[in-house]
Parts: sequence; C-alpha cells; structure tokens
Amino acid sequence: AATAPGKKITARLKRTLPVRGPQAPTLSELMRWYCLNTNTHGCRRIVVSRGRLRRLLWIVLTLSAVGLILWQCAELLMNYYSASVSVTVQFQKLPFPAVTICNINPYKYSAMKDYLYELDKETKKALETFYGFSEGKSKVRRSVEDWNSTGSDFFEQIPLLKVEDFSRTATELHSGQKRKIEGSVFHKDSSIVNSGDSNDIIGFQLCDANNSSECALYTFSSGVNAIQEWYKLHYMNIMAQIPLEIKEKLSYSAEDLLLTCFFDGLSCDKRHFTRFHHPLHGNCYTFNSGESGTILSTSTGGSEYGLQVVLYIDEADYNPFLVTSTGAKIMVHDQNEYPFIEDIGTEIETAAATSIGMHFTQSRKLSKPYSDCTETGADIPVENLYNKSYSLQICLHSCFQKAMVESCGCAQYAQPLPAGAEYCNYKRNPNWMYCYYRLHEKFVKEQLGCQQICKDACSFKEWALTTSIAQWPSVVSEDWMLRVLSWDKGQKLNKKLNKTDLANLMVFYKDLNERFISENPANTLVILLSNFGGQLGLWMSCSVVCVIEIVEVFFIDSLSIVLRRQWQRAKKWWSGRQQGRAAQATASDVERQGHENPACIDEDLPTFTTALRLPLPQDSPLPRTPPPNYSTLRLETAFTEQLPDTLELGQH
Amino acid sequence: MNLKKYLVRALHRLQKGPGYTYKELLVWYCDNTNTHGPKRIIKEGPKKKLIWFFLTLLFASLVFWQWGILINTYLSYNVTSSLSIGFKTMKFPAVTICNANPFKYSEVKPLLKELDRLIEAALERILQPTPGNSTENVSLPLDLELWNQIPLVLIDEHDKDNPIILDIFDTNQTAVDNETATDSRANKKYKLAVKLCSHQGSENCTYRNFSSAAQAVTEWYILQSTSILSKVPLHERIRMGYQAEDMILACLYGAEPCNYKNFTQIYHPDHGNCYIFNWGMDEEALNSSNPGAEFGLKLILDISQQDYIPYLSSAAGARLMLHQQKSFPFLKDQGIYAMAGTETSIGVLVDELERMGYPYSDCTVNGSDVPVKNLYSQYNTSYSIQACLRSCFQNHMVEICGCGHYMFPLPEGVNYCNNEDNPGWAYCYSSLRASIKQRQICIDSCKETCNDTQYKMTISMADWPSEASEDWIFHILSYERDMSTNVTLDRNGIIKLNIYFQEYNYRTISESAATTIVWLLSSLGGQFGFWMGGSVLCLIEFGEIIIDSLWITIINVIGWCKGLKQRRARARYPDAPPTVSELVEAHTNLGFQPEPGRAPALPPEPGTPPPNYDSLRVQPPDPLGPDSDTE
Repeated sequence: AATAPGKKITARLKRTLPVRGPQAPTLSELMRWYCLNTNTHGCRRIVVSRGRLRRLLWIVLTLSAVGLILWQCAELLMNYYSASVSVTVQFQKLPFPAVTICNINPYKYSAMKDYLYELDKETKKALETFYGFSEGKSKVRRSVEDWNSTGSDFFEQIPLLKVEDFSRTATELHSGQKRKIEGSVFHKDSSIVNSGDSNDIIGFQLCDANNSSECALYTFSSGVNAIQEWYKLHYMNIMAQIPLEIKEKLSYSAEDLLLTCFFDGLSCDKRHFTRFHHPLHGNCYTFNSGESGTILSTSTGGSEYGLQVVLYIDEADYNPFLVTSTGAKIMVHDQNEYPFIEDIGTEIETAAATSIGMHFTQSRKLSKPYSDCTETGADIPVENLYNKSYSLQICLHSCFQKAMVESCGCAQYAQPLPAGAEYCNYKRNPNWMYCYYRLHEKFVKEQLGCQQICKDACSFKEWALTTSIAQWPSVVSEDWMLRVLSWDKGQKLNKKLNKTDLANLMVFYKDLNERFISENPANTLVILLSNFGGQLGLWMSCSVVCVIEIVEVFFIDSLSIVLRRQWQRAKKWWSGRQQGRAAQATASDVERQGHENPACIDEDLPTFTTALRLPLPQDSPLPRTPPPNYSTLRLETAFTEQLPDTLELGQH
Repeated sequence: MNLKKYLVRALHRLQKGPGYTYKELLVWYCDNTNTHGPKRIIKEGPKKKLIWFFLTLLFASLVFWQWGILINTYLSYNVTSSLSIGFKTMKFPAVTICNANPFKYSEVKPLLKELDRLIEAALERILQPTPGNSTENVSLPLDLELWNQIPLVLIDEHDKDNPIILDIFDTNQTAVDNETATDSRANKKYKLAVKLCSHQGSENCTYRNFSSAAQAVTEWYILQSTSILSKVPLHERIRMGYQAEDMILACLYGAEPCNYKNFTQIYHPDHGNCYIFNWGMDEEALNSSNPGAEFGLKLILDISQQDYIPYLSSAAGARLMLHQQKSFPFLKDQGIYAMAGTETSIGVLVDELERMGYPYSDCTVNGSDVPVKNLYSQYNTSYSIQACLRSCFQNHMVEICGCGHYMFPLPEGVNYCNNEDNPGWAYCYSSLRASIKQRQICIDSCKETCNDTQYKMTISMADWPSEASEDWIFHILSYERDMSTNVTLDRNGIIKLNIYFQEYNYRTISESAATTIVWLLSSLGGQFGFWMGGSVLCLIEFGEIIIDSLWITIINVIGWCKGLKQRRARARYPDAPPTVSELVEAHTNLGFQPEPGRAPALPPEPGTPPPNYDSLRVQPPDPLGPDSDTE
C-alpha cells in the first residue's frame, strides 16, 4: 500500500516524460541533424553547401574558427590574473610619520671606558705595530708598559695578522711568529687581485674552536677596514655581555640628545619622543611613535609646520674606532614599521641645518594569485622577532637569527633575541665568531634559503625624501644662538657649546598630496565571460547554449547511438546464434530502427495544431477517409514558411 | 469613428503578425527568435522542453545580473594609469633663487635697531646667572613700548600646578626674587614664553610656551619684525633686499652665457627679493634637449652672509626651487637649501601626473571652480593648491583679525597687520594658525590640480672653490662685480649651482578611463552572446513581441467589450439575426469576434471542414523526417 502512490507517480512520470534515445538512427544522421539545427553558423553551411570543394572549404573554415576560439579563450584565461595599476592622488590631512633619530655614536665613550679599556689598548697597540702610529709619546710609553704586563685576550682569540701573499705565511702581531696559513682565504673588501709588489695585507683568522684545522682567513685591502671590522667583532662580544638596562644608561638620554623641538608651530619636548634601544646605535628616539595612542598629523605643508629639532652631538665623546663619522642618523618610517636605521638611515651633518622634504606614497600590491607577496606575514614560516608589522627586512633578519641560533647555539648581537636564546659571547660560545662568519657568508650567497622563504609585503608606505643642507648657525647669528642654546642645556654643562656639536634637522611635508598606487585586478569573472562571449560570437555566433548542444550531441547522443548499435548487434548476434533462420528478418533491423523508433515519429514537432495544443479535430486519430496526397507540397515549402500560409488559409 | 478606423487598420496590420493568442505568439517567437535558448524549448520532447525552459530562464537571469554588474562598473568611472619614462626635449623648469635672509642688515638696521637692543638686553638678563652685574646701566634706556606689546616672559615651572610668571624687564620682581631666582635658575626650571594678549593690557592673554629659549627668541623676533616691516612700503622693501647684480655673479645656460638680466625679480615675503630664471612670463620658456650638467644651468651666487639679520634667520644659504613656468614659487614648502662654500649639483627628473577631471577624479583644471579667491592671481600665476591654501588662510585672517598677514598677498582694500593699528593681531594670528578647524575648512575647499608636475631632484654636493683655485676665483668674481681689485667675497657667501636634466628626464603617469562606452557595449554584447547568443536585434525582437502581446490584449479587451454590448443588445432583441456584413466580418476578422472566449476554440473555418491530414501520419514519414502536415 505504501509503494502504490510512489509507483503511480513514477509511472506517470514515465508516461509524461518518456525516456527516449536520440532521434537519429546513425551517427552521420545525427551529425546532419545537428548541423542543420544548430545555432552556430559554420556547421549549417557544411551540410547545405553543394559541391565537394565548397563543402571542404566550409569544413576548413569552421574548424579554423573553432581553433581560433580555443586559442583566444586560452589566451584570455592565461591573462586572467593580470593586474592594472591605478594612481590616485588625494589632497588631505596626512599622518605624520615616525621619525627616529640616533646619534651615530652608540654609547658615550667616557662611560664605556671601563668596558672597552682593554680592547682600545690592544687596538692602539696594533696600530702602532703595523703602521707606526701613536697618539702621543706619553701614551705610547704607557702602552708599551702594558704590552709587557698584561696578556692580551683579544689577540689570542682572534689575532690580527699580516699576510704575505706569495708565501701564504702570516705574521702574528702579538707573538711575531710566522705560520703557514691553512684553510681558505677570504678577501672581505673586494675581489680585486693585489698587484705583486703590494704591501702586506691585514686580516684576521677565525678558527673552529673544536677543530683547529678548520680556519678561515679574512683579509682586507685596507687596514682601516680590517681594524674596524676586527674592533667591531670584539666590541659586539663585549656588548653582548652587558644587560640592556645598563646599556641604556650608558647611551644618550633624551635630554642629552634633544636640545629643542618644535612641531607644527608648537613647542614639543622629550615627552613626544619614545626611546628605542638599537643594538648598534644605542639609544634612539622616535618622534610620534604612536605609543601614546595618538598619531600626530599635519594639515599644512611647509618647513614651518613640520618637525624641527636641534640635536646635541657630543663629538668629543665619540668612540674613535667604532665610528669614524660625526653626526646623527635619522629615519622616517611608519609607526608600525621597525626602523632599520643601520641599513637605510639618512645621515645628518653637524653645524648645518638639514631640511628634509617628504613626499608620501602608499602602494598596494595584489596578493596571490596575482603576485607573490604577503599581506600580514602570517603565511611565512619565519617567526617575526621584531615587535612590529611584517616587512621583508624583518623576515630576512629573523630568518638569519633563527639559523644562527640553530647552528651556532647563540644569537647575533645586532638582532633581537628569539625566545630562550642568548647573545653570543666568548665565555659561553668560544666558537661563535667562526660560525657567524661562515653563516653570514652562506646568507649572502643565498644558501640559507632565507631569500626564498621571505616574500615582500603587499602594502607599504614610502616617504620620498629630498634632503638639502644649509649652513647653521649663520656667521652672524652663531654667537647668540650658541649662548641661548647653552642656557637651554642648563647649568650642568659648564662649557659653551660648539657649533660642531649641534645639528639642526627639519622634517616636513612638501605637500599634502598622498599618492596611492594600487593594483587592481584587470579582469573580473564578468569581464572574462564577456570576452568569451565576444570571441564565441565573433567567430561562430556561438553561446553557452551551443556548448550545451555540443555536449548533448557529441557526447550523450553519439554515445547512446553507438551503444544502441552495439546492443543491436549483440542482440542480432545472439538471436542469430539462437535461430539461424531468422537472420533475414533481423538484418533489416538496423535500418528500420531509426524510423521505427517512436522518437522519430515526433508528435511534438510543432505543427500548427500541436504547437498550439489545439484539440485534434477528430477524437479518433485513425483515418476515415483516405487523405489526398499532399506530399508533393513538402518538397517545395519548408515548415516554418508554411505556418502563416496555414493561417491565411484558415481565415478565408 | 476615426478611432474605429484606426483600430481596424491596426488590427489588419496585426493579422500579418505572428498570432492571435498569447500562446501562438510565444510559440512563434520561440521558433523564430535569434537567441539560442527559446528555440529548444519548443523543438524537443517534454522532458527536454522542461530542461530547456529552465536553462533559458537561468541564462536570461544570468545575463541580466551580469549586465547589472557591468553597468555598475562603468558608473564607478575607474581609471587605468599608464607610465612612460624616457628622455625628450622638455621645457627647462623655472628656477627661483632667493637668499635665506630677506634683507640686508645694513639696510634695515635703522628700522630694527630698537628691537635688536631689546632682545640683546633681554638675552643678557635671561642668560645672566646672577642678575646683579648687568651692563644695562651703561647702555641707553630701552624703549619698552615695543616690548610691552608682545612681551617675552619667563615661566618658573618649579611648582607644576601654579607656575610663576616673571617679566624679564620688571626690575622690582627680579630684585625681590633675587635669591630664589638664582636658585631655581640653577635647577633649570625656567622656560621662555611669548605673552599674547587680544588687546594691550587686557586680561585675555595666552602664553605660548617654548621648550627652548632659542625657539622662543626667534618666534618673538619674527612677530615683532613682521609688525615693523609691514609698515614699510613695497618698493622700499625691494630696495632693502638683495639686488640681482649683487647676488647673481655668473650664469651659463647650456653653452649660452646669461646674466642677472635674464632673471625676473619677484618680491617674496619670506625671502625678500627672489629671482626667477626661465619663468616664461614675457618670453618663451627655454627648452633643454640634452641631459647632463654641460647642458643645464650653471650659476654662481653670493649670499654675503656677513649682512644677515642675526635674529631673523639662523640658517645661511641660498634657497632655491624648481617649479613650472608661470607658477608661484612656494619656497617654504618645496624649496631646498644650497650651502655656502659648496657646489651643489641638482639632477632633475620631471615627474608628471596627468589626471582625468570630473567624474573620474575630483581635481580642477584651472582653479576656476574652487570657492576660494586666489590672491596669488595678482602675480599672474596659475592656480596651485598651495596658492589656494594660503589665500584661504589670508581670507580668514582678514575676516577675523581685520588685517592681512605679512607673509601672504593682500586682498583689495586691506592693510597688513602691525602692532599700532591692530594691537591684538599676534594673538589673533596665533590662535588662527593653531586652529585645526580653520585648516580643515581650507583643505576641504581647495582642490588639487589635475596636472601635477613635480621635479624630483638628485642633489649632490662638493666643496667649492677648492683651496688651490680659491684665490683667483674670488679675485675675478669680485673684480667683475665691484670693479675693484679687493676681494669682496669669501667662502661663507659663495655658492655654485648646477641644475640639469638627468638621463631620463621625465616620468609621466597619465590616466585613461578604464571603462568607456565602447567597453561597456562590447562587454554587454559579450555577456548576452555568451549565455544566449543574442544581440541588440534580439532585444528588438523581444520588444516587438511585447508590443504584439499588448495589441492582443487591447484587441481582446475591445472584443470583450463589444461582446458585452452585443450580449446586452441580444438580451434586448433576442431574435435579431446578424446581418450579412456582420457575418462576413466575423469570419474574416477574428479580432472582432463577439466573444473572446470563443476565439481560440474556433477552428479555422472557411465554410468547408478541412480534411483530416493527421491520418497521413500512419504512412511512414519522409526520410527527411520532421515535417508536419497541416495542409
């Protein structure tokens, strides 16, 4: 009882929507039918054309049209992920960028004396031995005394060497003994081959502490670079052992660095600056870092409305070996961006007013699949060690630091510490320098894979700077300016300021035009489809309907015809085997099948009456009177033209 | 009757059309339309019919949906940018050269004498650790009138909550606080501030604090000197500034010599006399067709640093700016410094941005549609956003303070502010300048120009003249200028400038519309073609069908009305037979059939019953297959 209604429905469905195969009996019939009835233009011509040549021509044309369509559509698909660039300029109130200012010298030399005493002594000694340079007689005498009294740690660990190129022997500074160089020689400065009669080259040798035969010798074409590099290695080693709080105290305070500050026509002071400790530049101060929650903005361009600061650069307190230039370094960056001031900072001269005009450009790239950039950096398998938003630079540095911790067991001084690691120093990691140099070399040669992992960020802000310098203070205003600035500095500074201790800096927007360069997808799906439609329509007047037709005819119908024929053949073969005598009867089966097929006698063909679903004039369909033979008419007129005729006939 | 005639004619016309009923019409449409889907609906078996019906519907709705998207895209007026970089012969930019110092101190000294003495005395007092041994007694008595208009005060911030304000020249107070003052000064808690009052002696005062005394002194001096200089007539001010023949010592453009006469003088409030090379106001702008320093502008300038006003400008050098022809140089915004005693080389790249105007972006072509009166038009210069912003500020200033600021041009019938006529101007000006609201109004009302040209400069510097060549260069230049054998120049005053085009001298970003009407049409066509194989003609067909069906509706309604009338008439005269003509009309014209309900049921009846051709089907059909037999 339960199945009865279901069966009824299926039976009814079968009745109203009978399943039928294709009308055409054979494949060629099907093709012919398709060509005559399809909506595409070429096919019909093939069938209708008379003459073999013409038919061939049409076949070729149709096929080439199909080929063209496929080619063009493939082209369209391949160009789908292309981007167009748009540049918009907007004049508006602009957020002022963060401006980070550092003294080039990281720590006060006077305060660092305790830590660097040994190292400086050694350096001076090296200078004297190699170049005969001494700072003054009294000092020399003292250092000679020291030479004999204290053993030098530094030279034992990493000796400075004088290399004689031909013999590949090196004279060690401290002991004076000669030894053969083993391992590879690296020219750190340049690959230019020294001329034969050149002086001896200075360098240092780094050895694997565990395996002393593994050594690498780094040579420099100039002693200046060699000494500085060598000094820096030891310096980093010493600094790595000093905790951060002490280092901050050793460096310049905000009061030390900033004498005056003026922003947007209003006075500002050290409260507007955020301290930021940079491993190589000591205490840096960031103006408008956004840490207080508000970001200052400018609504007027021009030098008066920007940031104006006078910096106090205490030239006398500079470390003579670490830094050899005087001044400050500044960097203009976004609040979320980490200032890589050692890489891309701008240097500022003392006794001069540096005016920096900015021009703001914001760029945005499209991320995947348009280009290989990253939106937030979350999809990069490198942990961001910096507490700032992602950038390529951050990724590379973090990646290197990670590799460093993995292979050397300690972290490099210039970059932030990963969790659980500590900075390298000799006491704990006697081997680190060799390891670091090896790793750094690999990094530079792109063997660490960092350059492959790290992608550039999709959006970035850029401040294009125009820097110009004027003399400051001017000759006539120097006198009062220095007096007043000394008063500003306060009483604790007893000496009068010198103009070479001062630097004036102006950072301002040249104009408030923000250029926004963005990539937009050149194509959307809608446009792609339109282009497809255009191509299909142009060559063949085809549409999706045609595509469906093609699928229907070439796949479903053809397949079912083939299957049907196979089935018939199998059936015939079977029945022939069963009763050999009935072979003749089945022979005609194949031919008859198409026409006998109920589908071919198509009651749905839109005759006038059937199309209108008019009731048939007589209920009984069978003929009562023999019909006149109007078959001749068929040859002359096609059905579609017949319809109006019929109507007219009907009326008269 | 006319109407009836017309209707009859229309009806006849309709008869030539596809059908008499909606269904007939639809079938005819489906069979004959050029769009691909509908044909299928009527051509095949019931199941396919259903499928095709839905497919057609789906495709039609897809087409409309995507058309909506396309039209939306078009109406958003997107632009695409194209970038071109290269070298071409271009107009050499106009070069404005000024001295950082506006006037020769030797010329303005009489005017500023009082002021300088005041500030010197004030500094003496401020800087003096112990105020006892001041040299004040020796000097002439000070004229405190200037001071009292805008005084500088010391603010003792020892006690944060109620700071003590000390007037510097108030002798009583300093005497009383003698000891405490020295104490606290030792602690460095003093700050300088400028006292600004809306009227002299009124209570409505503000203190502009400065973290640094140097800043405070400079600001104060600028306010005071502005007030003094604004009373001086323009020609006098021009005379006090630097003259072209003193400043521009040598000039060479490409291979052609030029001199100070090739420069146009303009008075700039910040920098005094400025000189513009190649401004293009009177003569044609110069072209440069070669890159490199050899083909650019070479200048030697003297800024005579000894003659600077000490308190007004502390930076020394030349101020220069590259800008477009016929535009006003806004040196404070776009200008750069050139340092004395150096050779400054400036490689120029012209960075142009050409934008489409409304509706693609909100920019103005010549500033005529900006609601701010451009005060810089008196210089005959073209519109720029800087000019607009400054004009906007000056207009506000005139409106609120009643006088114009010295740094900007004046509207008609207004005078510059000075302390005598407008005692409260400094207060009014600084409150206006600090007002964010005022700035925002100006930003909102000014529009940027559609063609934005910037000169990207690559600046490099070297010491000049070299020590070896110093002597003869100074000698020759001094001789040429002053006709004397004495050397009147020195390292602190001399500047060499090279301005030239770089190897690639232009970078042009030009916008073009991303979506034109042609694009829209071809996209619409593409969509329609892609889903349904249709074209505009198909749309017309569809419209035709709608008109047809409207006609059918009208005819049906008319027929129904007529039928109603007839039925009523028949009800009145039930036996009245129809006339012959009526009968004929009824047969010939289906539309006038009295009863619309009967119309579809009517078989085509021309008197004799038609033969039943359906019987033909019994015979095997023609091999060509789908033929119908209605005849």
